[in-house]
Amino acid sequence: MEFGIFLEDAAQALATGILVGGAYALMCVGLGIIFGSMRVINFAQGDFMMLGMYATYYLATSALVGVFGLYAGPAVAALLSGPILFAFGWLLHKTMISRVTGARVADMDGGGGYAQLILTLGIGLVLQNGGLILFGSTPIAVLTPLSRQSWEVGTVLLNQARVVAFVAAIGIAALVNLFLTYSRIGRGLRAAADNPVAATYMGVDVTKAHRIAFSLGVAVTAVAGGLLASSQSFQPYIGIDFVIVMYAGVVLGGLGSIMGAFWGGLTIGLVQQLSTLFLPYQLQNTTIFLVFLLIIFFWPQGMFGRVSERT
Amino acid sequence: MLRIRELSVHYGGLCALDKVSIDVEAGQFVAIVGPNGAGKTTLFKAISGTVGPSGGTIEYKGRDLLAVPPHQRPALGIAHVPEHRQVFPSMTVLENLQMGAYAPAAAAQWKRSLELIYELFPILAERGTQLAGTLSGGQQQMVAIGRGLANVPELLMLDEPSMGLAPAVVDMIFDRIQQIHKERELTILLVEQRAAEALESCDLGYVLETGRVAMVGDNQQLLNDKRLQQSYLGL
Repeated sequence: MEFGIFLEDAAQALATGILVGGAYALMCVGLGIIFGSMRVINFAQGDFMMLGMYATYYLATSALVGVFGLYAGPAVAALLSGPILFAFGWLLHKTMISRVTGARVADMDGGGGYAQLILTLGIGLVLQNGGLILFGSTPIAVLTPLSRQSWEVGTVLLNQARVVAFVAAIGIAALVNLFLTYSRIGRGLRAAADNPVAATYMGVDVTKAHRIAFSLGVAVTAVAGGLLASSQSFQPYIGIDFVIVMYAGVVLGGLGSIMGAFWGGLTIGLVQQLSTLFLPYQLQNTTIFLVFLLIIFFWPQGMFGRVSERT
Repeated sequence: MLRIRELSVHYGGLCALDKVSIDVEAGQFVAIVGPNGAGKTTLFKAISGTVGPSGGTIEYKGRDLLAVPPHQRPALGIAHVPEHRQVFPSMTVLENLQMGAYAPAAAAQWKRSLELIYELFPILAERGTQLAGTLSGGQQQMVAIGRGLANVPELLMLDEPSMGLAPAVVDMIFDRIQQIHKERELTILLVEQRAAEALESCDLGYVLETGRVAMVGDNQQLLNDKRLQQSYLGL
């Protein structure tokens, strides 16, 4: 009897883990694009996700998106937060990030890494506290009737809002992957990531390639946040929890690999949910830290670590 | 075609190029030889724009090249095959070659370029889907040259294509460079430490020493020069 209940719980945690993992995978892809193409250590990524959540919230409650109804509205709002945060990322890169990245800092102390760290931490602090002023500190969520409805598969309940978020996240991740693999701009981004100097010899404007990669990464993570917002309440400080989730996913997948970031993110979602089987709910992020440490210790190259170049 | 006048490049306080003047006429094969640290690679970087000169001018087909942003120079018909090959390791051989045709004009001729590259280096056709980072040095050099050719260049700049390769592979690479030059009447600017091979192939040779042009002449003049024979040709 006891064991039967445990199995039911395990199946439920597994299903929830996969569903939540979809949105995590997408947000990791966003960070993966930025880290993979620019090698920038970006601590503000969680706060970009927070902005995506608030953008989704305000869009979903606006008259403009209201016409899509209560069911499709929140998903449409999450998708629309992408272009908005893309523009935000573009401006941020143009005015600040480009000053501490690329050719300009190649011979700076630590390759500009220290400056990037301080800058993105600073941006994160400004966004968090700016968020407190603008949005307030009360936790909110994007309300949709789907959040309270579930499909039943055997004994497992699939929350409908999460299923919608999962499907949308997988779809967007696939599109992003297609774009990076087959488009001319995508090839240019990957070439600039592999070797910026050689990419310049091919005619790639590396600064612009970085700007596109950064904006795209911000937008993708923001959409992931927006999708998550209908099954998770949030406040301006939520980014701090999620930046850890993202780095754990990206490192698990293998630094520099987009596919890796996707599978890493999915795995982290799964680990987080499965841990609730054995540990109190409040400790679920502790498990992520633990997994993160174990990966770094035993498997630093991750699932899809970069090929090493022959010399 | 290419007119370089009194070009100087400084790295911090270090002078890498000191008032270097070099001419390349259309259809010529020009070789630049010299020891390590003579400024050969720096010269190429200045032409491609990844290093900014502290003085002098570079004119390409009558146009001030220094006023053109680096990433727009390939579209003018300048292909740079860099030192150490510098293929894109996590991209496939085919993707690497296609990067050479990144400029729109070159992209329009991509299909034909690829045929020509595969004709020149048949092994690359077999390796199309392999990641370039996993190729041998010789094959990476073929990818690097093929990538340059995909740009449909008028001026092909080759920086030490022989570096780190087995002698038989070096011979093959030099043969192919000769073939490209003769069959397509492509203008070639070659930088090499292997002075003998480079000078034999070229129409005009420059000897670069500690950032200065120490000698200039056609291949017979240079190959017969006593001092050059002693210091570079090992005769």
